[in-house]
Amino acid sequence: MAESSARNWRRRILLPGLIPAFVLLAWVWVARTECIPGYLFPPPEEIGRAALDYLFGGTGEGPYAGRFLRDAWSSLFRVGCGFLIAAGLGVPLGVLSGRVATARRLMGSTINGLRAVPGISWLPLAMVWFGIGMRTTVFLVALAAFFPVYLNAAAGARQVNPLLLQAGAMMGVRRLRGTFSILLPAAMPHIVTGLRLGLGISWAYLVLGELTGVPDGLGAVIMDARMLGRIDIIVVGMILIAVMGRASDLLLTSTLRLCFMSVRRMQ
Amino acid sequence: MRPRPLLSIRGLRKVFPFTGGFHTVLDGIDFDVEEGEFICFLGRSGCGKTTLLKILAGFLLPNAGRVRLAGKPVTGPGPERCFVFQEDALFPWLTVAENIGFGLRGRARDRASRRKAVDRYLSMVGLSGFGEYLPHEISGGMKQRVALARVLILEPRVLLMDEPFASLDAQTREEMQELLQSLWRQLSHTILFVTHDVHEAVILADRVLLMAKDPGCIRETVPIGLPRPRGREDAAFLGLCRTLHTALREGA
Repeated sequence: MAESSARNWRRRILLPGLIPAFVLLAWVWVARTECIPGYLFPPPEEIGRAALDYLFGGTGEGPYAGRFLRDAWSSLFRVGCGFLIAAGLGVPLGVLSGRVATARRLMGSTINGLRAVPGISWLPLAMVWFGIGMRTTVFLVALAAFFPVYLNAAAGARQVNPLLLQAGAMMGVRRLRGTFSILLPAAMPHIVTGLRLGLGISWAYLVLGELTGVPDGLGAVIMDARMLGRIDIIVVGMILIAVMGRASDLLLTSTLRLCFMSVRRMQ
Repeated sequence: MRPRPLLSIRGLRKVFPFTGGFHTVLDGIDFDVEEGEFICFLGRSGCGKTTLLKILAGFLLPNAGRVRLAGKPVTGPGPERCFVFQEDALFPWLTVAENIGFGLRGRARDRASRRKAVDRYLSMVGLSGFGEYLPHEISGGMKQRVALARVLILEPRVLLMDEPFASLDAQTREEMQELLQSLWRQLSHTILFVTHDVHEAVILADRVLLMAKDPGCIRETVPIGLPRPRGREDAAFLGLCRTLHTALREGA
């Protein structure tokens, strides 16, 4: 028991923490040697102070003190909305075009054409259409996250072992029930991959959308800090995005595991 | 007047396109199957025996000819003609018990009686206690037992088996042949069984339909008159095997 919990600790805490710890050490060492000036590359303790101030400081104590919760909430809400739209459209359309040749021919060229347009080039148009802020950001996030979700769902649906569908038909499963009880579970590993990729891209496009001058959000803080030359806050913002991105990925996978038996049992 | 056969196949022909032309896989297939009969299709690879079975299942449509089950034409797959695949075709996200109960889910039956039926068929194929395992946690032989149980539970009129034991080791294969025979005696199903293994055909079948290829056709019908249970060492058994083996080699 004790041995297995020690191994568990090593596997779950020590191993994933190894690379961050090494990077931190290297950072401390570089800061000590002072071969890079502090205003370009602040030492970790300065970042730590800025982070504490940003996370827990009382409002009014400084320009960024205590803003974290509001920023995180705004960003999370934008990512959530955009990602849900992407998933809600991407999974059904992907599965449809993976299974039905007519649907694939109808949508395939259009979607792959649109995919070739870099998300960033939608920014000017989105700002004209939706103005600055929430709606532009959600639009960009949804647009960018849609493609990996759609493509993976389509690949998953197309690659389902035909024997499973034949077995279902032989056991008297009709089309609609077959879709939910055979096709979707069988395609689930691909669908999950698509959703995770889509969520990752959501964070990238969140920052893009928030760079346009919205008052709050993690991307906005980074942009704001650049104007004021606060490198420490820029780095804090980036680290927090990394942390929240990883946390949201964990949340997504555990939610999917909770909701779908096929995810629990096939990974 | 003779009673109407359970399954009647007339003038079956199947053509597959391939790069640069067409290949006639099956031509002029005619036969009848009586209720409760155990038929083996014996032929070398490429003689169209799997294609024939898939047409009977309704997975494939013939280019000509007709399949009738109890007088009604077969137009698509259905639970009255169940299929056991050569490869693993269990649902990997369902447990053994859920796989076996899968076909019952669409039928109006309450949960308790469904569970009872699943338990009965689990023990019938010798898998009591393995209901909660996932397919990737059990061996190939056990998977084919599950595949057998999940179709037997639907009480099909015809059981179609496509080399179901071909990928198993010799001992497991013999075990499965014994199991299938005892189930057949208990449940008196009609079974159509495809194999390339002469011993398997002679152990199992009432009648062996010997197939030849290019185009695939039934060359000869060999009734196996041996009493059951059949000993694998009996002179009569070995003699029949030798005859069929020679016929198989000459047919190619």
